[in-house]
Amino acid sequence: MTGRTTRPDRGGGLPPRSAEPTVPDQAAARRGQADQPPSPPTPAAEPPAADPAGPAAGSAGPAAEDAAIDRTGSAPGGDRAQYAVCAFLALVGALVIIDATRIGSALGSADPIGPKPVPILLGVLLLIVAAVYAVDVARGGSGEPEAGEDVDLTTPVDWRTVLLLIGAFLVNAVLIDRLGWVISGTLLFWGTAFALGNRHYVRNLLIAVALALITFYTFAIGLGVNLPAGVLQGIL
Amino acid sequence: MDNLANLLDGFANVVTPTNLLIALLGVTIGTAVGVLPGIGPAMTVALLLPVTYGMEPTQAFIMFAGIFYGGMYGGSTTSILLNTPGESSSVVTAIEGNKMAKAGRAAQALATAAIGSFVAGTIATLLLVVVTPPVVSFAISLGAPDYFALMLLAFVAVTAVLGASRVRGFASLLLGLVIGVVGIDQTGQQRLTLGIPQLADGIDVVVVAVGIFAVGEALWIAAHLRRRAAEVIPVGQPWMGRQDWQRSWKPWLRGTAFGFPFGAVPAGGAEIPTFLSYVTEKKLTKHPEEFGRGAIEGVAGPEAANNASAAGTLVPLLAIGLPTNATAAVMLAAFQQYGIQPGPLLFERESGLVWTLIASLFVGNLLLLVLNLPLAPAWAKLLRIPRPYLYAGIIFFASMGAYAVNASPFDLFLLLTIGLLGFGMRRFGLPILPLIVGVILGPRAELQGRRALQLSGGELHGLIGGWVSWSIYAIVAVVLLWPLVGRFVVRPLRGRLVTG
Amino acid sequence: MTVLVGYVPSPLGEAALRAAVEQARFRDEPVLVVNTSRGDAYVDPRFAQEADLERVVRELTAAGVPHSVRQLVRGRDTAEEIVDIVEAEDISLVVIGVRHRSAVGKLIMGSAAQEVLLRVRCPVLAVKAG
Repeated sequence: MTGRTTRPDRGGGLPPRSAEPTVPDQAAARRGQADQPPSPPTPAAEPPAADPAGPAAGSAGPAAEDAAIDRTGSAPGGDRAQYAVCAFLALVGALVIIDATRIGSALGSADPIGPKPVPILLGVLLLIVAAVYAVDVARGGSGEPEAGEDVDLTTPVDWRTVLLLIGAFLVNAVLIDRLGWVISGTLLFWGTAFALGNRHYVRNLLIAVALALITFYTFAIGLGVNLPAGVLQGIL
Repeated sequence: MDNLANLLDGFANVVTPTNLLIALLGVTIGTAVGVLPGIGPAMTVALLLPVTYGMEPTQAFIMFAGIFYGGMYGGSTTSILLNTPGESSSVVTAIEGNKMAKAGRAAQALATAAIGSFVAGTIATLLLVVVTPPVVSFAISLGAPDYFALMLLAFVAVTAVLGASRVRGFASLLLGLVIGVVGIDQTGQQRLTLGIPQLADGIDVVVVAVGIFAVGEALWIAAHLRRRAAEVIPVGQPWMGRQDWQRSWKPWLRGTAFGFPFGAVPAGGAEIPTFLSYVTEKKLTKHPEEFGRGAIEGVAGPEAANNASAAGTLVPLLAIGLPTNATAAVMLAAFQQYGIQPGPLLFERESGLVWTLIASLFVGNLLLLVLNLPLAPAWAKLLRIPRPYLYAGIIFFASMGAYAVNASPFDLFLLLTIGLLGFGMRRFGLPILPLIVGVILGPRAELQGRRALQLSGGELHGLIGGWVSWSIYAIVAVVLLWPLVGRFVVRPLRGRLVTG
Repeated sequence: MTVLVGYVPSPLGEAALRAAVEQARFRDEPVLVVNTSRGDAYVDPRFAQEADLERVVRELTAAGVPHSVRQLVRGRDTAEEIVDIVEAEDISLVVIGVRHRSAVGKLIMGSAAQEVLLRVRCPVLAVKAG
């Protein structure tokens, strides 16, 4: 496994200056399909609502509309995946309400309100927001994915990298108490650098070990931060 | 209450070798994260929160203040040299700054940005010293209902004013408030702990902040990692000629005037004043032909506004305990970590700490000027760090910090869960700031609200205090109803004007 | 058949380019200028800017050598890209610049020149700066 993570090519020829990938490779295309929710209609076929003046779009206006048009590649059909967000919000709302009803009523004392009303209020508001959100989505509203300097929104979500990162993260969480920070932290840095596409294995290992040792000595021994020595107890 | 004497005491505290070293460390880290486009000051303070547990609160805050101001300085370097603003507050700087650099005037652009930041930072910190005590004495007269109203205003402001979509803002805010509810209530009841013993103490704000800012951001960027080498502009030693000084000093002062008040207002932030400053300079300049091709005024003004707003942010944070932007929100969390409650009482109870913090702002500002003017080329070299190392480092420090909070791997799983939440929010365009403000201010709002109702014996009128809370509720109502006002009042009026 | 030159915007790269032009004339073959960057840092000093490439084209045109320029940014190392091009296309000679690297430097950073020398199947001309 060498650095064969094929990425969109800058293309040949002299003026390949545009950031647009000219030859999207097959892997990326496949990932793209896997990423898309199974909703066939393309944005071109589904024109954005003429007046997206929903409660939200009042201020969102042109931005939301643009996003709906622009994000052709990544999420077709007015981004149906947003309904999952509504469902999530409703679920959280319901959970908060159920949990609140379980709380015993305030035991008198000086507090006339008790711990119950606030979560119930939040739960109800969450349900309302979920409903309004769903209406907004139905009207073609769509949130703009967060842009950023290192974010290339023309590419689909790279799930392989994300899952590898989560994997490296979990390895650290599981091993930190058993092996200690120096070892698990080394694995964490090395693993995340690998997940992010860096293939200088030896160099990364050296950097990872150095970072883990430096942080351990500075923070755990120097500043008294809680970091476990683990199996290296007595050696470090 | 002799504030000048207090400030001088503060200076005396700062200029000890250890504290100077910490201030230097703070501004160095701050500049570095400002230069690196992927990391912002809010994320950095969040990442450093747990590792400063062993430090004195004063020292930790000297460092955080340095990071805060340093981030504002560093952002301009990338804006000018790469046309890639490191922070949202430097977006405007990039417009003229990068044009100047392309025209071979990178040195002057960097110089006017650095000196302007110093001038604005110093003036604005002086304003902070002057303005804060009156605000404190006003705030001391406020009761629980007023505080409750103020926090409601903060919620509504960060939710409805910033960001494109209100419903998404409120979704984010409510999620934050729910996270804030988790744990044992003041009456001893467990809320939303789901039977998990580790959740009984609540979800640590540090874990939330690190998860949302650092892990969420790293995952989101990893999912869309850009592969591109930017066009670089060679950096020389920053310097300015006589004409540059003449053209810069007025924009610096005007920028400061724009930045400070906006920083102090909830949801004001640095973006609006930098933009206003740019527009003003464009109007007032004697060289209108240079605008769009690299006018020095267009760098000097916004950079000053940007730094002045940073100082302005500290007024409501210190005097009332109200954060107006992400970094301030995380700094508020930092205060709470040390068991210190920002607000009017802060100046009485922790007078030494506050004035040392303010004095350290002056010192940090000076250090930043010294650090940035001669070292700009060295800072630009930071941009050669490969992105994988940058984001691997973020996840590394995030994990370390989250673990260190309670020395418990459980927090790492929690961190990942919140990081995934942050990932999802970025994917669906839910703003981050309302959530973090909700987590931090939510429990305090509940406390103040319940305290207010306690006084009234549970009657709702207890939430309405004097004229202060009335006026705040009025503002909240206007902000909330603005779209309706826009639709039914402004638009028909405009229509009538057009037809008539 | 084509002469491939690995170009970087530095004296070393210019020396390699000059050597490549000389070889191309001698062999009566076109030159393929390759510049790559992993593209994972904000700034890569080995990434040729537009002005650099324009100058390269001017030089090649002035020398009267048929040429093409290829710039690749796809997260891969220079050596891998060059090796792949040699595998896929009709390359007669690879020209690269080499400089001294300490043992530690080679261990940590790896050596693109060494990779190319050992892995391509055509002759390699290694050029030093100055």
